Amino acid sequence: MTSTPPPQRRGARTQQSRFSSRLESWKLHHRAMAIDSLRRLLRHPLGSLLTMLAIAIALMLPAGLWLTLDSVRGLDAELTQSATLTVYLDSTVDSAEAERIHQAVMAQPEVIETRLIDADEGLQELQQSLGLDDTLVGLDENPLPFSIVVHPDDVSPQTMQATADYFAGMAGVDEVRLDLAWVERLRQITELGNRIALGLGVLFGLGVLLIVGNTIRLAVESRRREIEVVMLIGATHAFVRRPFLYSGAWYGLGGGVLALLLLGLGGQWLALPVTSLAQSYGADFTMPSLGLGGSTILLFCSTLFGWLGAWLAVSRHLSSIKPE
Amino acid sequence: MIDFEHVAKRYGGRFEALAHLNFRVDRGEMVFLTGHSGAGKSSLLRLIMRLEKPSRGRVVVAGHDLAKLHSSMIPFYRRQIGVVFQDHQLLFDRSIFHNVALPLEIQGMEPRDAARRTRAALDKVGLLHREKALPIELSGGEQQRVGIARAVVNKPALLLADEPTGNLDPQLSADIMALFEDFNRIGTTVMVASHDLALIARLRHRMLRLHEGRLVADEGIQ
Repeated sequence: MTSTPPPQRRGARTQQSRFSSRLESWKLHHRAMAIDSLRRLLRHPLGSLLTMLAIAIALMLPAGLWLTLDSVRGLDAELTQSATLTVYLDSTVDSAEAERIHQAVMAQPEVIETRLIDADEGLQELQQSLGLDDTLVGLDENPLPFSIVVHPDDVSPQTMQATADYFAGMAGVDEVRLDLAWVERLRQITELGNRIALGLGVLFGLGVLLIVGNTIRLAVESRRREIEVVMLIGATHAFVRRPFLYSGAWYGLGGGVLALLLLGLGGQWLALPVTSLAQSYGADFTMPSLGLGGSTILLFCSTLFGWLGAWLAVSRHLSSIKPE
Repeated sequence: MIDFEHVAKRYGGRFEALAHLNFRVDRGEMVFLTGHSGAGKSSLLRLIMRLEKPSRGRVVVAGHDLAKLHSSMIPFYRRQIGVVFQDHQLLFDRSIFHNVALPLEIQGMEPRDAARRTRAALDKVGLLHREKALPIELSGGEQQRVGIARAVVNKPALLLADEPTGNLDPQLSADIMALFEDFNRIGTTVMVASHDLALIARLRHRMLRLHEGRLVADEGIQ
């Protein structure tokens, strides 16, 4: 302390050192308030846990829905990759003619891979996929035409349709099928799900604000006298607000951690039936998880919402508290 | 230090708590504010603390025209005034030390300096040995001295006290007043509202007497 220069002589330096010591004690006050507000939370463990649980549940629903959609999106991408066009040739076309059309189709720049299926092959595939081994054997004559399965490079619906239209105009082509309807439908469902998840996210985010806001409102009410006293002796609104903002942030963070825990548990609980269901469809399916990035975002958002809820609650109440 | 110009304060449109107040308190003065309860002593102090605005007239304290003070500046203005309340206004969930250190904490003083200043203030009121106690463990007179220590810990230029001896016996009251005189001696402007006429008459300081919100006497040092 002896090193402090006399204020009247070294004005600028004192000003500077005063500023840095102010900054230092401002940081110290933040730390003290962070610890103090955490201690207050821990003093009522059950009440705090219930608040955090309410926040966790509010966060879990949109997060869970988002995870589900994420895995559906993965499925969608996989299915879209396998999207194909089938070009059916006129039944009058013979194998030489079919080969010629096949070459013409293959020559198109947007085509990656093609496969020519003759009538016998087609019949076999049909039998397999329908599981009708004997019925078709009874036919005198193979009614199927030649067909060409085409894998285009661009699988967006518009380009697929344009390619299909082009092939349909070629000589010897009877019709072109592209079974995009259900891929399109899946995509629309995912889009709908996205919007629902976003809507739910906004709603439940508001829910978190309300939960934290209400808890903080009660805390402000119970410390009303203290607030009045510190305002009488010159506390700024920021000073009064600070411990409550930290409480809100702690509630949010605690709620976020609980939400992650519950999501993990829920995932474990659903993993077995989901995988066996997926296996029965022959699909390779792994339970989605938030991962490090997602978890960080969830925790960040929940802490931010907690802080914001506290800010709204305290600010609303500060205007009503006038020192007596 | 304090300048009241044609000040009036009305509550609820009709009731006139203060009317036609004109007076001036110079820097370094010690002034008693006296009158029956309801005479307007507390209202006057509330105007100085900028808890309320006058309905008419101008209040200037330490160069600040209080009506023109922006609301965000009020906390900083209040830090220049030490206030001793009749009911002490201590925080019962923290120790004597932390109660007294509160104004310094609010100002953002470095903790080591703050601790030194806090102990000096507690020493001044004779309660350094009780710094770890909670307010509830102290007698009324001791609580009032804690309130005084908190009011002077940041060395304010102006010290206000509202009935600081309201609930104390004569000996304790005299001790408290002696403390205020000590602070006045080192240059602090002191204004004490009290209706204990017997006590303040002995102390020979300027006395402002209020009656029904009007200044009826401004008696200089006898």
